[in-house]
Amino acid sequence: MIQLSYLDYIAVEKKSFLHRLSPKLKIIGMIGVLFVIVTVRNLPGLLLLYVILLTLYFTAKVPVRIFSLTLYPLIFAVLFIFLSGFQIYFILLILLKVLCGSTGVVLLLATTPYPSIFSALGRVLPSSFVIALFLTYRSIFILLTVLEDTQHALSLRGGIQWKHPWRSLTNISNAFGHLIIQGIDASEKMYESMVLRGFKGKIHYRGE
Amino acid sequence: MSHIHLPDGVLPVWLWASGFIVVILIWAILLRSMKKEDLTRRLPLLGMMAAVMVLGASVEIVPIAYHVNLTVISGILLGPSLIFLANFVVNTILALFGHGGITVIGLNTLTLSIEGVLGYFLFRLFWKVLKRLTPAVFLATFIALIFSTFAMIGVVSLGTSHYEELIHQERGKGIVGFEFGKEKEEHHPGQTAEEKVNLRRFIAIVLPLGFIGWILEGVITALIARYIRRLRPDLLHLEKESQ
Repeated sequence: MIQLSYLDYIAVEKKSFLHRLSPKLKIIGMIGVLFVIVTVRNLPGLLLLYVILLTLYFTAKVPVRIFSLTLYPLIFAVLFIFLSGFQIYFILLILLKVLCGSTGVVLLLATTPYPSIFSALGRVLPSSFVIALFLTYRSIFILLTVLEDTQHALSLRGGIQWKHPWRSLTNISNAFGHLIIQGIDASEKMYESMVLRGFKGKIHYRGE
Repeated sequence: MSHIHLPDGVLPVWLWASGFIVVILIWAILLRSMKKEDLTRRLPLLGMMAAVMVLGASVEIVPIAYHVNLTVISGILLGPSLIFLANFVVNTILALFGHGGITVIGLNTLTLSIEGVLGYFLFRLFWKVLKRLTPAVFLATFIALIFSTFAMIGVVSLGTSHYEELIHQERGKGIVGFEFGKEKEEHHPGQTAEEKVNLRRFIAIVLPLGFIGWILEGVITALIARYIRRLRPDLLHLEKESQ
């Protein structure tokens, strides 16, 4: 999640052919990727999709630094593998489906600024949902700043140490409590400033 | 543990599509029942609490593949209607970061909402009975997590026949399989017990790990509530309940 601001930065700053492509087309492309993941049930088909996505990833000059984001969901897939009785074919199928989905999403987020994604989604999804998505996304950035300060305070109070589990739990909980209170205060200020700017239940994106 | 970290294409279409339909119906009912001005005023709060949940979910305790959900504390602060809406948003954003597939957003919203809504009502109940914040929050969280974990196991078990089909795909089926109806049961003569979907093994792994998670989340949520009570007791609306 900490890489979110970097992801956003490269979505705006990089200039590849994928960055220049219309957000609408990229979202349709992502839906296409999902369709293939849901319907294709053989390894060569999924492997081909993964190779295509990897080719797009590297030709779009998305930094290798965020490639680890595409591997992150594998942690959770491991649990599901226990269902299969360790069938190699099934395990590879699951891993490829996970990798295709995550690479597709990272590719979309790394080449499309988030206001463009929300603007495109706003044309097909209910406005209350898209506003909630937008405000959540915005709030993550606000909270990340608070979290940075909180981390400093946390480390001054002993931080997280496996030797002292209770103190660590208390520190983590206090950090989250602090984050929640700061977040609620910030949300009140955010609402007031939105109303001052004429917010009446709809957000207008640049170019609309 | 109650969050379904399943990738896309693993659950049968009828199952995840039903999840989306139910969530959309509940969303529409909630929007109709809430005043527009009230929702507009509370959207930034919803967004902020959803962001807190997203950040909580990104703190991974790797050895047990567990992350705190913070759904119960968010439910207590937001109330049962807004926590449902917040869960939908949280799951959409988490799906974009690989916490489960995009197709399982609906099912994840339902299981996490069981946690948030049940946690809210259980907290109110335990607070009325016990009049002590820490045990009330801990018990509410612990019980709500048990329910949502079993809901998650229920969802996973509903797709059993589909997983079996995926496991036996190598036995000469076509490239593409797309069925809207419930998947057919297929029995292969040479199928050994090991080749079948082992739901018991899955449950045997999920429940002990889940138990650790329920306790961890219960303790963390109780401590968070205690911290909030010290600094902003008004957020918990406790006076209203104790009268």
